[in-house]
Amino acid sequence: MKTSFPWRRAGAAAAAAAVLAVSGLTLAACSSPAHPAASGTAIAIAITPGSGQPSLAGMPGSTATDPVTQPSAPMASMSMPSSAGAQAPAGTPVSADRVAIKNFAFAPAAITVKAGTTVTWTNQDSDAHTVTSQNNAGPLNSQALNTGQSFSYTFTTPGTYHYLCTIHPFMTATVTVTR
Amino acid sequence: MTNPMTRRQFARHTGWFGAAVVLSVAGGEVVSHIADTRDSITAAATADTNTLRFVQVSDSHIGFTGPANTDVTASFTQAVDQVNSLGFRPDFVLHTGDLTHLSAPGQFDQVKQMMSGLRTDRVFTVPGEHDSVDDHGRAYRRAFAQATGGDGWYSFDTHGVHFIALVNTLSLEKLGHLGTEQIDFVRRDVAGLSSDTPIVVFSHIPLFAMYPQWGWSTDDALQVLNLLKRFSSVTALNGHVHQLFSRVEGNVTFHSATTTAYPLPGPGRAPAPTPQVLPARQLHTALGIRTVTYRQGTTALAITDQELA
Amino acid sequence: MTAHQPLRARLSPAPGSARLPAARALTAAAGATLAAGGFVHAQLYLDGYRYLHVVGMLFLVQAAASFGLAVLLLAGTFLRPPALVHVAAAGTALGALAGFAASRTVGVFGFTEHGLQPAPQALVSIVAEAATVLALLAAAYVTVRRARAGTSGPPSLP
Repeated sequence: MKTSFPWRRAGAAAAAAAVLAVSGLTLAACSSPAHPAASGTAIAIAITPGSGQPSLAGMPGSTATDPVTQPSAPMASMSMPSSAGAQAPAGTPVSADRVAIKNFAFAPAAITVKAGTTVTWTNQDSDAHTVTSQNNAGPLNSQALNTGQSFSYTFTTPGTYHYLCTIHPFMTATVTVTR
Repeated sequence: MTNPMTRRQFARHTGWFGAAVVLSVAGGEVVSHIADTRDSITAAATADTNTLRFVQVSDSHIGFTGPANTDVTASFTQAVDQVNSLGFRPDFVLHTGDLTHLSAPGQFDQVKQMMSGLRTDRVFTVPGEHDSVDDHGRAYRRAFAQATGGDGWYSFDTHGVHFIALVNTLSLEKLGHLGTEQIDFVRRDVAGLSSDTPIVVFSHIPLFAMYPQWGWSTDDALQVLNLLKRFSSVTALNGHVHQLFSRVEGNVTFHSATTTAYPLPGPGRAPAPTPQVLPARQLHTALGIRTVTYRQGTTALAITDQELA
Repeated sequence: MTAHQPLRARLSPAPGSARLPAARALTAAAGATLAAGGFVHAQLYLDGYRYLHVVGMLFLVQAAASFGLAVLLLAGTFLRPPALVHVAAAGTALGALAGFAASRTVGVFGFTEHGLQPAPQALVSIVAEAATVLALLAAAYVTVRRARAGTSGPPSLP
């Protein structure tokens, strides 16, 4: 039975453990990064368009030296429209139904109106939304509505109109128009 | 069973605990040092033309007004300044979409002007769904994609890396959508490339299923990813989700970038992907730019994300 | 031996003497497997996992703790570390396993992977960490059983 602390054995053990640790870490170091390719090979640093494309996409930055400039496109610098245009054909407007766009949803999601009714959508949400017929197969085609903007459409033909927001296409709703 | 510890036992416990701490810290320091050495080798290749370095910015939403960010123009200006003060000139800059908030011509003008101040040779863009509201991307293409085919997809090569720009924000049903014409373009585009060519794909909406309930996925992305299965290194960069997120699936590593405009909630953390309002001083921590470095001979691209200052 | 020796055996067996060879071997094995798991994490960290948000740092912490505790466990072949070292080592291995499971399911700070990616490191590390936990549990079981056998009567031949 030992009555004194086994210093020598402890020392030997610690030394062995330290050697193991150091060698382990050195092995980690030795899984070194791949060395850079021989600088003799010429690497293409220019940006070249992909196969089958005649010219490079994108636009020049401030340090571009390429004299080729983008073909100038007529840019109407008009400010944002304050409200989307309403499509109101002639005829006595009946009481307008309202749909609120809030929390990424149309509320109410399904409305029924009589033919001739003007429905007004108002965006009360923090992001922009649109009111667009599904599959582009319908009359609803608002521009992007910013917060507070509205869009109106007068339904004349009976039927069911499915629409969604093209920016967030998981937002869907319906307008059913009766005679 | 519980005796008060003797002084000797306490000393023994302290000795072992101390040894554990010292050894762990030492081990951590060594590994960290090796990592730093590798990083500085990469960074020291500033004059090394074998190193490709580009910057990704995303979701500038010029035209947005709201409490989540009352001045997105200032934020994007700051992002441009930050890119210009990186200490090196990036080989090009990518903008992964939602350049404007409402697809208005004035907004396209403004963001194009701001990006022409980037200290780089070339700026590449892909449209977001906010850039193609109700005109199928016509205004976006007039501003940014005159030289491209199809709906604005294209590819280019530099430093031995092949880049493919995909447009998945048109004809949206519930998720991002590429379409057969674009998938055919990718098939022809990569047909002649050797399988060890590093590929970088960039799009606006994620090409992986990050959160389909909010449209954060692309319904036919698998077809393109299958075309890229044979390549040893594929990196997919995207925007749209306004937050950093990474995922590895097979041979593809996906990296979502954050925005320069306003934060969105994490997947499922809110009822809807509404712009989140943060305290004014915290907003800049949610915005940022990304630097991507690729050194010839390595397999992975090094991604460094930094907040807006 | 002196009369008070059995009392000491009950409360705290003398270092080195009453430890079973089995316990020592299991502790050493646990040290080796823990080091292996830590080595895999270190290698992945250097290869690119360090760029991941938060997860990169967790890899470094796991590797560092693994190396540190592995050294102590290996020293435990000759010495007798306090139980806390065993607990900490098991905790490090279990934490790594939990992180692996989380990354395949709910995600760790936004990071997810699938299956046994990256191969072969993922499989190697799971096996190493599981082996660490099992070895430490076995060592604890063997030691406790021996200590119980010691307290229930005069030390008898095993």
